[in-house]
Amino acid sequence: MTAVGTPAVDVRGLSHRYASTRADEGDLLALADVDLTLGEGEFVSLVGPSGCGKTTLLRIVAGLLAASDGAVLVHGRAPAEARSDHALGLVTQDPGLLPWRSVAANVRLALDVTGRDTDIDALLALVGIERFARYHPRQLSGGMRQRVALARALAHEPRLLLLDEPFGALDELAREQMRLELLRIWEQRRISVLFVTHSIREAVLLSDRVVVMSGRPGRVVDDVRVPLPRPRVPAHEEAPEFSATAARVRAALAAGAP
Amino acid sequence: MNDSRGALSARDAVDLPGRPLRTERGAPPPHVRSRAARARAVLAHTLGLGLAPALLALGLIGGWEAWVRLRDVQSYLLPPPSAVARALADDPMRFIDAARLSLTAALGGLLVASAIAFALAVVMAHSRQLERALYPPALMIKVTPIVAVYPLFTIWFGFGIWPKMLIAALITFFPMLVNAVVGLRSVDPSALDFMRALDASRWQIFWRLRLPSSLPFVFAALRISVPLSLIGAVVAEFLSGSSGMGQLILIANGDFDTPALFGAIVVLAVLGVSLTALVSYVERRVLFWHESSVGT
Ligand SMILES: Nc1ncnc2c1ncn2[C@@H]1O[C@H](COP(=O)(O)OP(=O)(O)OP(=O)(O)O)[C@@H](O)[C@H]1O
Ligand SMILES: [Mg+2]
Repeated sequence: MTAVGTPAVDVRGLSHRYASTRADEGDLLALADVDLTLGEGEFVSLVGPSGCGKTTLLRIVAGLLAASDGAVLVHGRAPAEARSDHALGLVTQDPGLLPWRSVAANVRLALDVTGRDTDIDALLALVGIERFARYHPRQLSGGMRQRVALARALAHEPRLLLLDEPFGALDELAREQMRLELLRIWEQRRISVLFVTHSIREAVLLSDRVVVMSGRPGRVVDDVRVPLPRPRVPAHEEAPEFSATAARVRAALAAGAP
Repeated sequence: MNDSRGALSARDAVDLPGRPLRTERGAPPPHVRSRAARARAVLAHTLGLGLAPALLALGLIGGWEAWVRLRDVQSYLLPPPSAVARALADDPMRFIDAARLSLTAALGGLLVASAIAFALAVVMAHSRQLERALYPPALMIKVTPIVAVYPLFTIWFGFGIWPKMLIAALITFFPMLVNAVVGLRSVDPSALDFMRALDASRWQIFWRLRLPSSLPFVFAALRISVPLSLIGAVVAEFLSGSSGMGQLILIANGDFDTPALFGAIVVLAVLGVSLTALVSYVERRVLFWHESSVGT
């Protein structure tokens, strides 16, 4: 067992360089000396300009990509090892559903692979797509597909959830709703969440901390604690602390712009 | 077509100006229309599709018959359709037996070649090094005119079904290999990331992700190689003159039995069309989820 107090994710001095595939191009430095800690049960958002390496960072934490430099620990172990506990839930930027499987079967995929069991109907209800269990991905809207991806990532009850702009394809109304659903899920399950988003408001409303990254190569330019009480409600957006935090995040983003 | 479908298209166009109108044959969600209504629509559509070609074929056959009779064309040059039909009806077993032999060789070769090619593709898709090593010999099979090696096969395997099957196998091997390699690699990277993040084994990734992803490519290969296998078998029979449709054609040719020649062509055409239709049918069933099955 991991000792209490071991962070869910601990990233130290992480750099990543993509080797170029062409002779006339240099390598591409995507991440430069990134430090990041995500406490057990914490909700941390990652914001930063497009192309600053957020997806790269998430893939390294998930053990899908070996970092060129630096140390990464997930639940105190190397990412590839941590993965074997099935402790990870991943929602990729494109939903990546299997088009030949129905919605329910897509969610079941996570259970097949991990050998765990859960009530799929309840899970689909949790993300609001219980009526579409027998549909295939092609018949769903972009937002509905992302809900399926979220349900699929939650199915095996991971301790750490990595979300790469999961609400990117949603309209504002659905997005609002999904935020609250995610908050509710997080409050119920108390899992650790690393959440990539482009929306400052979303980051502030949901998170304990907002980590702001600079343009490429991505560095951490600010780590902003959100001084709002839990449980969060939409009314928090009216609080003065909310605007102050959002302003600080915005300023950090502007300072880190390339 | 059906009212509810028209309404759906119109609403789509209003709500989503950027998106193209759903085509008439686009797949509606399963709840939009009842099963019976859908079956009726499909039937009406199929009849509609079949009507024009059927009329055209009838017209052509009628014209051919009339022309041959009116101009008094010699039967050994161009027999009337009625003579072809009589040739087929007089001795159907002659054609059926020959067709059965050709078909067995063609499909046997196709199945064996497809299975080996797919197994090899699995290996090649997992390792670039093995791909580099195996590709040149595979390419050699493709570029060598197989007709040239047939005499060798008859020396080794005699005149039975084996050399024919081998020709059919060699001619269909390469399309399956290339398509399967590409197909097994054409995996959605996000789906792969998801499965790897769950620590899925190679085996799980193969069965649940790679294999289904490759199926559209496998069917594309089959659509090419099914008619090829028939060609391979008949060519082999031509060369050896020992059995099957190829032999039937050779004999009919020697006898100036043109109606039987035409009969053989009709039988082969029917075989080719039926096999292709069968592949398409299975493909539509299996690949209901794939874009290719929307508009075709
Ligand atoms: N496989 C790859 N090979 C080479 N370069 C890559 C690769 N993946 C990403 N990059 C580069 O690394 C940089 C960071 O990419 P990444 O996808 O991590 O950005 P991001 O912050 O997630 O962007 P966005 O917000 O647009 O999703 C980009 O400049 C991108 O071009
Ligand atoms: Mg990204």
